Amino acid sequence: MTCPSCGSAVSEGARFCEECGTPLGTTAATAVPAAAPAAPPPPPPAGDPLRDAPISAPTRRPAAALPDPPPPPGRRPCAECGGEVGPDLYCTACGTKAPSERDHFEERPASWVAGVCDKAVSKNRNEDAMALLAGPEPGSRAVLVVLDGVSSSVDSDVASLAGARAARDVLRVPLPSGMGTPQSRDAAVAQVFAKAAAAANTAIVAVTDPDSPNPASATFTAAVLEGRRISWANIGDSRTYWIPDEGPAVQLSVDDSVAQAHMAAGVPREVAENGPQAHAITKWLGRDSEDLTPTVGSMEVEGPGWLLACSDGLWNYASDADDLAARVRGAGTSDPLELATALVDFANASGGQDNVTAALARVDHPVLGQNDQTPTPGGEPSDG
Amino acid sequence: MAEFTAAVYQNEFLPDGGTDVNAIVTITCTGAGTAGQSGAGDAGEIIIVDTSGSMGPATMAAAREAAQAALAEIVDGTYFAVVAGADRAMLAYPLVSSGPGMVRMDAAARRGAAQAIDRLVGSGGTAISTWLDLAGQLFASVPAITQRHVLLLTDGENRERPGRLDEAINRATGYFQADCRGAGTDWQVAEIRRIAQALLGTVDIIPSPGEMKAQFQEIMRKAMSRGVADASLRVWTPQGAEVLFVRQVSPTVEDLTHRRTPVNPLTGDYPTGAWSDESRDYHIAVRVPAKAIGQEQLAARVQLAMGDDIVTQGLVKATWSNNSELTTRIDQQVAHYTGQEELARMIQEGLAAKAAGDEATATTKLGRAVQLAAETGNDEATSKLRKVVDVESEETGTVRLKRAVDKADEMALDTASTKTTRIRKETT
Repeated sequence: MTCPSCGSAVSEGARFCEECGTPLGTTAATAVPAAAPAAPPPPPPAGDPLRDAPISAPTRRPAAALPDPPPPPGRRPCAECGGEVGPDLYCTACGTKAPSERDHFEERPASWVAGVCDKAVSKNRNEDAMALLAGPEPGSRAVLVVLDGVSSSVDSDVASLAGARAARDVLRVPLPSGMGTPQSRDAAVAQVFAKAAAAANTAIVAVTDPDSPNPASATFTAAVLEGRRISWANIGDSRTYWIPDEGPAVQLSVDDSVAQAHMAAGVPREVAENGPQAHAITKWLGRDSEDLTPTVGSMEVEGPGWLLACSDGLWNYASDADDLAARVRGAGTSDPLELATALVDFANASGGQDNVTAALARVDHPVLGQNDQTPTPGGEPSDG
Repeated sequence: MAEFTAAVYQNEFLPDGGTDVNAIVTITCTGAGTAGQSGAGDAGEIIIVDTSGSMGPATMAAAREAAQAALAEIVDGTYFAVVAGADRAMLAYPLVSSGPGMVRMDAAARRGAAQAIDRLVGSGGTAISTWLDLAGQLFASVPAITQRHVLLLTDGENRERPGRLDEAINRATGYFQADCRGAGTDWQVAEIRRIAQALLGTVDIIPSPGEMKAQFQEIMRKAMSRGVADASLRVWTPQGAEVLFVRQVSPTVEDLTHRRTPVNPLTGDYPTGAWSDESRDYHIAVRVPAKAIGQEQLAARVQLAMGDDIVTQGLVKATWSNNSELTTRIDQQVAHYTGQEELARMIQEGLAAKAAGDEATATTKLGRAVQLAAETGNDEATSKLRKVVDVESEETGTVRLKRAVDKADEMALDTASTKTTRIRKETT
C-alpha cells in the first residue's frame, strides 16, 4: 500500500501517511480519484500557502521537495586548455593535472544558484563541503549548505561532505509555516534546522572511525531562501551573508568562535579576528560535539542581491560584510557560478591559506514565497 | 586470463626551465598461459634450418637433432611447418605442394616431421630472403593463425644482392616474430641481428654443435609459453611534447623509437610482440614545454594495448620545482639503464671499429664498455669483454686489445651486447 499523496510505502490500516501526514483509510482512498497519485498537486496560490487545509495539516509537502542537482557531467574540461580530463585526472590533450572531484567541485542546481568548493592553493586536501538545492524558477527556493571540516581531525573531508548532504536532504522540502504566527513559524523553522544539524552530525559520526582519538568534526552553515525570506542556521565559523545590489551588506550568521566572543566583549573586528586563537571555534559537529543546536535567524529581502554561504577560506580575506560586498559587486556578473568562481579565485589569489567555499543564490525580483506570512510587499524584516 | 601491471620509476622533478623527462616503465605479465590456447586464435611455429652446403656433417647432424628437440616442445594442436633453407627455401614438412602449408601438431605429425628432418642434407648457397618469404606464405596459408613465430638457424653469411634481405625483412615485419641463431663463426652478427630486431626476436651464437639442442628446446619452450599473441606499447604525450626515444631496456636493449605507428596526433603504438609470464622494462624520454615552478603535468601515459584494449597504464609525470635537492636527483633505474644502453652501443661500435682496423677507436669504446659493465654490475658483459680485451683498470676504462682473440668470443660479446641486467627496484 502506498500513500496517494507522496507515494511512500505505508503500513496496512494506517490512518495517516508517516511521511507526509495525508489522511489514509477507506474514506480518503475512495475520495481520491485513481489518476491523482501520479499528478503532482497544483502549486498553491501565492499568499495562501495553506489553501483551505485545516490548521493542523502538514505544511511541509514532500511533493514540493527539490530534486538533487544533476550529477556532474562525465567529461570535465581542462582548466588550462579546455581539453578533456581523463579518468587519471590528467588532461588528455595538454597533460595538465586536474584537481580531483573532491578537491574542486561545482554545483549548479538551477540557473540562479551555484557554488564552488575548492581545496585552495596552499592546502593538500579539501575538507570543505557544500550541498545545494534549488527550484528551477529564479528566486523560488534555494538551499545552501556549507560545512568546513576541521583539519586537525581524521577523515574530516569525507565527514564534511557526508554531513552537508545529510543536512541538504532534511532541507529538501519547504520550511514549515508553523501555526500561522511568526513566533510559531520561527520555532518550527528552528526545529527543522536543528534536525538538519542533527542529521549532518549523525552522518559525520557514521563515517568516523569509532576508535579515532581525533574524530572528524566540522562547522555547519545552512541558508534557505524562499521567495523573499532568508532563513539561516549556524554552528562554528562558516557564514551566511546577504549582499544587496545596493545599500549595506549584512553578515547574517554569528560565529561560534573565540574571535566572536572577543567582539561581543567589545574588541574591534580587526583586532579580534587576528588575535591568538581567533579561528578557534567554540561549537562544532562531530562525535565530540557538546552542543548541536544551531543559532538560527531569518529576514526578508526587499531588493535584488546575493545570498552567500561561505567558509572562512573566503571571509578570511574579506570579513567585513561591506568588504565582501565590494568583492561581489566588483566581479560584475549576475551569474552565480561566475561569481562563486571569482570569489574562490580571489581567495586563492590572496594566499588561499584554507579550503574555500562560496555558494550563492541570485535574487533579482524578490517574490512572495509560499510560506511568507506577510502577503503585502514591504513587510518588516524580522530577526529570529 | 593474462594480467598486466605497470610500474613507473622516475624523478618527476624538473628544475626551472627543465624540459626532458626520463622514466623507466616496467610492464609485467602474469597468467599468460600457452600460445594458441587463449581462444583468441591459433599459434603457428615454423622451424627454418639452414641446409646450405656450408653446413658441415657435424653441424648438420646437430641441427637435425636440435630441430627434433624443438618439435617435441611444440604443444599439440599448434600449427607448424619445417623449412629447409639454402639458395631457395623448401617446405620440408608438411609434405604438400598446394593448399595450407602448415598442419596441426599431433603424434603422427611429429613423427612425420621427424622423418622429414632426418632427410635434410646440406647443399647450395644461402639466400635468407627466400626463407623469410616462404615462412610468410606458409603462415598466410592458414588464416586461423594469429600468433606467428619462426625459429631460424643459419651458419653462413647471406649471399644475395644487397637490399634483397632487407626487403624480405620489411615484408615480414609486423607479421611474424623470429628468434635467430648462428652456428659456428662464419655468419654475420650484424646481419642476423637486423632480422631478429625487426622481427622482435633474439639473436645468439651457438659456437659448438653440442649446444644446439638445448638452445632450440629453450627457444621453443619460451615461444610456447607466450600465451598473449600480440601487444603494443601505447605512448601518449601532451600537445607540444616530443618523444625523444622509446626503448626496451630489459631483458635486452631494443630501440623502438622509429617503429611508431600513430594512433592519433598525440598517441603512438610501438610493437612488443607476444608475451609470456615476464617483465620488460622500457625507457621513455619525453621533451615537454617548461612550465612554472609548482606546476605538475603528465609527460606521458604509457599503456600496454592488446588491440584496442588498454590492459595496463603507467603515468610519467613532470613537476617543476626550485628545490635543487629534488631536481638534481637521478632515478636509480633510469641511471642504471642509461648506462646499460651506452654499454650496448660501446660494445657494438668498439667491435665494428676493431673489424675496420681502427684500433684507437676500438680501444676507447671497449674501454668505456668495460667501465660501464663494472659500474652497472653487468657481469656477463664483463666476462665476455675480458675475452676480447686485457683490462688494466675497470675504474678508468683502460684496456688493451688482445692480440689473439677467438672469433666466437668476439661474436658472443657482440650478440650479448644488448642483454641487460636488472637492479633491485625500490618504490619511492
